[in-house]
Amino acid sequence: MAQVLAPPPPDETTASPGAEAGAERARSRLGVLIGLPPALYLVLLFVVPLVIVLVYSFATRGPTGQTILADWNVDAYARLANPLVREIAFRSLGYAALTTAICLLVSYPFAYFIATRPAAVRNLMLVGVMIPFWSNYLVRTYAWRVLLSSSGPLSQLTELLGFGQTRLLFTSTAVVIGLVYGYLPFMVLPLYAAIERIDHALVEAARDLYASGARAFWKVTWPLSRPGVVAGSILVFIPTLGEYVTPAILGGSKTTMLGSYIVNQFLSARDWPFGSALSLVVMAVMLIATVVYFRTGGRTL
Amino acid sequence: MTPAAAVELRGVSKRFDDVTAVDDVSLQITDGEFFSLLGPSGCGKTTTLRMIAGLEFPTAGSVRIFGDDMGLRPPNKRPVNTVFQSYALFPHMTVHDNVAFGLQMRKLGRDDVRQRVASALSLVQLEGEQRRRPRQLSGGQQQRVALARALVNEPRVLLLDEPLGALDLKLRQAMQLELKDLQSRVGITFIYVTHDQDEALTMSDRIGVMHGGRLLQVGTPEDIYERPRSPVIADFIGDTNMLSATARHDGHMVLGPGQVVRANVDVPPGAQVVLTLRPERLRLFPARDSVDPTDNALDAKVVRRVYLGNAITYDVDAAGVTLRVRQRNAPGQRSFAVGDDVKVAWTTDAAVLVDR
Repeated sequence: MAQVLAPPPPDETTASPGAEAGAERARSRLGVLIGLPPALYLVLLFVVPLVIVLVYSFATRGPTGQTILADWNVDAYARLANPLVREIAFRSLGYAALTTAICLLVSYPFAYFIATRPAAVRNLMLVGVMIPFWSNYLVRTYAWRVLLSSSGPLSQLTELLGFGQTRLLFTSTAVVIGLVYGYLPFMVLPLYAAIERIDHALVEAARDLYASGARAFWKVTWPLSRPGVVAGSILVFIPTLGEYVTPAILGGSKTTMLGSYIVNQFLSARDWPFGSALSLVVMAVMLIATVVYFRTGGRTL
Repeated sequence: MTPAAAVELRGVSKRFDDVTAVDDVSLQITDGEFFSLLGPSGCGKTTTLRMIAGLEFPTAGSVRIFGDDMGLRPPNKRPVNTVFQSYALFPHMTVHDNVAFGLQMRKLGRDDVRQRVASALSLVQLEGEQRRRPRQLSGGQQQRVALARALVNEPRVLLLDEPLGALDLKLRQAMQLELKDLQSRVGITFIYVTHDQDEALTMSDRIGVMHGGRLLQVGTPEDIYERPRSPVIADFIGDTNMLSATARHDGHMVLGPGQVVRANVDVPPGAQVVLTLRPERLRLFPARDSVDPTDNALDAKVVRRVYLGNAITYDVDAAGVTLRVRQRNAPGQRSFAVGDDVKVAWTTDAAVLVDR
């Protein structure tokens, strides 16, 4: 009990009581000064446009495509129940989920392989993963268009083997191939980071405690790499859901995704309120999905 | 027929690329023994342990456990368990799940598992901590969980890789005695890897000293400390004085600078030898005191004095031979100052031949 009642330790700032507090204030002033420009940048270019979108989503489209900013209503939101919107939304979700699943399946063994190489080889392979970023995504997607076309190398190969021409371009397969190709590095890198961090002694401990190689993987490596799985999945799923370029180049009229559909509302249909409402709902759904995913992924760790 | 050794190494070597980590080690460890592998870092002791566990496989030679040649048998099929250096507790599992892991892998029933986990935890004095996570435990507690996780499987041999390395001195000393206690209670063979000579001396029935991948000497703590078989061992275990000397025809030894001393060692005349002399075996007297004539005595001057609390060490210079002397800080013990003229004395059996 005596220890509990002992007097508090002497105040270390007795020499100059105000000095430390003053230094603290100066530091926080400097912090505000440094933080101000990026904060302004974000408010001007992110928050303000978002508010404009929000305002427009409650407006009305005029007969010639102009937006009427009086007479607020929720018509744009009501039109989201339209079967076409639902079809496009489900298609986008399907493409995004499929792309994420394929990326995960392909990336996990690959990331595991990289993470277990010696450091020098590892870094070389990581650079390899990032090489595609050196050229423009648009250019690379057009390259797929050549590869997948019915006169392209893939088709020539199948024809040579006697299977006839392949008709992949402008199909959903082509879109998913393009998406998997484009977003693979976003899955590989977080997975690599998570697997690389796992202490190899943990796997050895599992092996020492009568686990076979496979069981050691499922009991130790897999659960401990889950943060990488969660991060990689989010990094692939969210951008593919809103993807615009890939379906536009590799897909056809039957592969329209949400991103293209929203663009069409603004540019072709000139229906800004509907486009705004659609954008906001997609954003909200993604936000909620992300939070739920993080929560469930985070709790098991 | 004598029962097979708990663990037997026959000419075991391990090479990594061009580095020989373990070089032709042969060793027999008896069932129920507390055996320590002692040596500086990089001496091959951990690699040796990992080869017994099955986490590495020998490049040459064989590992036998209770007479069975382990060959390339994986770790999950060996009757040994390991306490890892950094504990390697599974961070995503509770204490219970950590300790239960081995039992679950062997598909024991749920109630059986729960019971055994509870009794293993009480063995290491962690009753009721089942639901906590490793990161919520102190270093000492984590260490106990690692111990329980291995012991719960009732292995015939427990391998421990510097299990106390991360603990502070006080806790380490307490755990040393506790571990030794535990080992005699459960009667399992312990193979303990450490670079800490005090730890090895305190706990072991026998010690194997390793250096540069080779097993230099195997013996009881007394053997190793009192009768080191090479200068490397004498130097590594405790503080020591090394004297090079030449044997004379009358059995006396001539030290480098010319002093003549007597030593109970059996070498032919003219042999060049190295003697080791433990600092606590040396005694200091004022220069004028007379010393037992059957002992060795050299005139010397104190050049350094270090106060250690329970002891005082002096470095004395005896005409070119520097000796370290350790005196217990006991009542009546005379203290000397730097610059004092002294006599340094030792009995003829204090010096041990380590090299010729």
